[in-house]
Amino acid sequence: MASSTASTTTPLRHAFERRVEDIKPLKSDINALILDYLTTEGYPSAAAKFSKEANLRPQQEEESVKARRQIQHSIHSGNIQEAVDALNELEPQVLDSNPSLHFALLRLQLVELIRTCNTSPGGDITPALNFATAQLAPRAPTNKEFMEDLERTMALLVFPSDSLEPPLAALLQPGLRQSVADRVNKAILACQNQRRDAAIRNLVRLRAWAENTARETKRDLPAAIELGLDGDERHEARQNGHEPMVT
Amino acid sequence: MTNSYPSGSPGVPDSSMPTGAPGFMPRRSSYASVVSGAASGASQPFQQPARSGAFSHLLSQHPDFSYDSTYSNFGGHSRYENRGYDMDFTTNGGGHGRSGSWGRGGQLPSFSSAFGLLMNGHGYGGFGGGHTDQFFVPSYLKGSKYVQKLEEAHKAKLSAHKEGHSAQSSQPGSLSTSASSINLHAKMAPSHRGMTYDLIEKAPPVEDEALAPLPSKWNNQDKHAALEVLSDGQEVKFTGPKPERDRDHEAYAIRADHPMPPQCGIYYFEVTIISRKREESSIGIGFSSKSVPLSRLPGWEPESWAYHGDDGHSFCCQNSGKHYGPPFTAGDVIGCGVNFRTGSAFFTKNGDHLGTAFREIKGKLYPSVGMKKAGEHVRVNFGQSPFIFDIDGMMSAKKKHIRQEIEATSTAKLAPPLNETELIQSLVLQFLTHDGYVETAKAFSEEVHAEKKALSLDPNAAVNGFEVKEDEDAGHRQRIRAAVLDGDVERALKYTNAYYPNVLKDNEHVYFRLRCRKFIEMIRQGAELHNSTSTNGTKKSNGHSGDWYDDIINQEMDVDDHPNQNNWDRMDTEEPSGNQMEYQRLLSATLAYGQDLQAEFQNDPRREVSMALKDAFALIAYEDPLNAKEVSHLLDPSGRVAVAEELNSAILLSLGKSSSAALEQLYQQTTILLEDLREGGGPGAFVNIDDFARPKIGQ
Repeated sequence: MASSTASTTTPLRHAFERRVEDIKPLKSDINALILDYLTTEGYPSAAAKFSKEANLRPQQEEESVKARRQIQHSIHSGNIQEAVDALNELEPQVLDSNPSLHFALLRLQLVELIRTCNTSPGGDITPALNFATAQLAPRAPTNKEFMEDLERTMALLVFPSDSLEPPLAALLQPGLRQSVADRVNKAILACQNQRRDAAIRNLVRLRAWAENTARETKRDLPAAIELGLDGDERHEARQNGHEPMVT
Repeated sequence: MTNSYPSGSPGVPDSSMPTGAPGFMPRRSSYASVVSGAASGASQPFQQPARSGAFSHLLSQHPDFSYDSTYSNFGGHSRYENRGYDMDFTTNGGGHGRSGSWGRGGQLPSFSSAFGLLMNGHGYGGFGGGHTDQFFVPSYLKGSKYVQKLEEAHKAKLSAHKEGHSAQSSQPGSLSTSASSINLHAKMAPSHRGMTYDLIEKAPPVEDEALAPLPSKWNNQDKHAALEVLSDGQEVKFTGPKPERDRDHEAYAIRADHPMPPQCGIYYFEVTIISRKREESSIGIGFSSKSVPLSRLPGWEPESWAYHGDDGHSFCCQNSGKHYGPPFTAGDVIGCGVNFRTGSAFFTKNGDHLGTAFREIKGKLYPSVGMKKAGEHVRVNFGQSPFIFDIDGMMSAKKKHIRQEIEATSTAKLAPPLNETELIQSLVLQFLTHDGYVETAKAFSEEVHAEKKALSLDPNAAVNGFEVKEDEDAGHRQRIRAAVLDGDVERALKYTNAYYPNVLKDNEHVYFRLRCRKFIEMIRQGAELHNSTSTNGTKKSNGHSGDWYDDIINQEMDVDDHPNQNNWDRMDTEEPSGNQMEYQRLLSATLAYGQDLQAEFQNDPRREVSMALKDAFALIAYEDPLNAKEVSHLLDPSGRVAVAEELNSAILLSLGKSSSAALEQLYQQTTILLEDLREGGGPGAFVNIDDFARPKIGQ
């Protein structure tokens, strides 16, 4: 094993890199990490295939991963009502027990209504106003943040959509859909006693933290520590659409 | 040749007594029974094969293996001067010639208790003063990466001792990483997430400074003569003559066997005052460097810090103390903790935290106590027993704090311009393609693509595909992997030679491992066939029912040079059955293959090669190796994974690609960064990568 990595070693490498090469993570750990990610973040087909290819017991039934993915998909596509209905079907208590999540969904729904009227010429703002009045206004007074969020969202109706302040413009970006979808996903997992981030997220953050901290404390490190997505493999990845999401 | 492997073998010639036996067989001894009882016999893979007939002449032809193990074992003994060792081990003769599964198996919880008594004074003696205890983990250091490494090193050392490879003992973990053991000693840990195959061991931990052991007892060699160490190093008593002049500046001190390792982050121990006298105590509890004179209370001298019982003052490297806490006396439990991250120390009294006593602590510091009055007597707890103070709570609060800091860390700088989600998607996809999980990679890229499309605001905008390029190599590699995982080594060899004709030539060790695996698979097949056809369950390979075997062995031990004098006719016999022909055919094929293998590699000087061969050939000594717990792990299909991975890595390297995926590199880098951050008690001391990278369901 050692020899397979040693052959790529050149004398010029930083001691750090040589030490890195001597670490051999357990394949079983890495595989578990992958399966956990695919399951937790809801990639049902990949999770099922992976548990077959890597010979691992599925972490959750494919059906239940699929159900979560479906809800995420609805939110990603802006069909909030569809997502809420499916969520209430799957885990009815999630929204009842989590008013802030419920409000976030409603607020996103309002954003989507505003987007619709912004994009259609001479758009009618009535549906958005009605929705805000009926659904969000009664909830807003219960929480200061709700009120602020509602006010900020309503400002979208006031200003022309092409000259918004960055914080307002951000509301119209897909990032909001994504973050709400993530929260919903986590709430469902919590409800199923699986509450947490996918472990791989923590590993990646740990990596970032460890490098930051080591650099702060002036440890002897190479100028850059490559992840290995670069080079040969990176080239492939690039071609495969790793361009940053255009937002 | 052909008449020597019929199963049951009434006609097996005398010569089939394996010469390997002397190396493998323990003489009867109480020790052997203790271990085989309490440690499930796992330590003695070669202990008692009930029947060695079938293939034994294979071994007989090549006595080197067994002799080697016997001799190196004895050779090993002589290098250990420890009395306990000699006494307990040499009685076993060669019984432990090969017992590698100890450390490599790694999963022997019963071991320490069963073995501890015998091993007393032997533990991790190589590290320090040559006297130690069995391994223990203080409760607050459970889950500490540093202590895990100590434990691994400890186990590796034990197995090195067991194997008699003293040369290896300076490198803990080296056994675990040898090529042969990775494969052949696949762990069969009970799995909570499907198949577990902990095959690729972590690299050997860095030695010496980085792996200083924990304090475990008072050091008999580092004390004032007036003090006596009692109770196996846990107690100290002032037994010397009354000081001639009862002068205030005279006192008697002792230090622990090892300094407090900063890599723990926080180190903590407790001292119970057990002197009977109810009068004012004059005990000082703290820590000092090795250079501090032992005729003074800790705290009075430079490089020493302590909390004194008579006045409750704290003393920081000087004669005059500062008011700190209450005085303490008989019956009190005083705790001393050093936080290496902040360079500060605190004390506790009967479970109460007394606040920070010192700051800017530096140096290689040993727990220390000093006393002034005859009859004073203390007992220390370095973590062998539960603590009075809730140090566990303090530790987990620190860990939690750092964990929160970590979880809030932005990953934006890791691979700009990718955000966290995109980075993880890239890492996962790259891993899947790199490791040849073609179907998963396809499914994943489709799902990610659908997600991106959904998130795209403009339904007409082209979303960059995330699809996997049809990679011919990935397909080849997948087929080869699947063949190895199926146990079909022949097919894997065929594919490999067809697609990558140079890989096996250029990577002889991979070729060797494939060949070995094939032999193992053949044995496995034979054993399965045999078990399915053999209906008489009375003969179990482990069931060495009589003493006849030991008798033979003992006799054998005395006549090593004439291994052909045993009466193997006493072996039970077995009726030929319908499938017997098939079984016979397979046996002879296996045998022929084994001989080829042996012929090809017998002169190979590499230790891992001879080890692997030895392990593989050991299988033939068992009638039912699948159910012989000493060797069944060698046959476990999980052992295929390591072979498949090694072959995959070799192919990747031949294609000019990195042998480890980006995700693995990220893991490796994190491990090393944390190691650096653990030095000197940095924040890394409070972080164990396993807590982050090992998914826990329902955490």
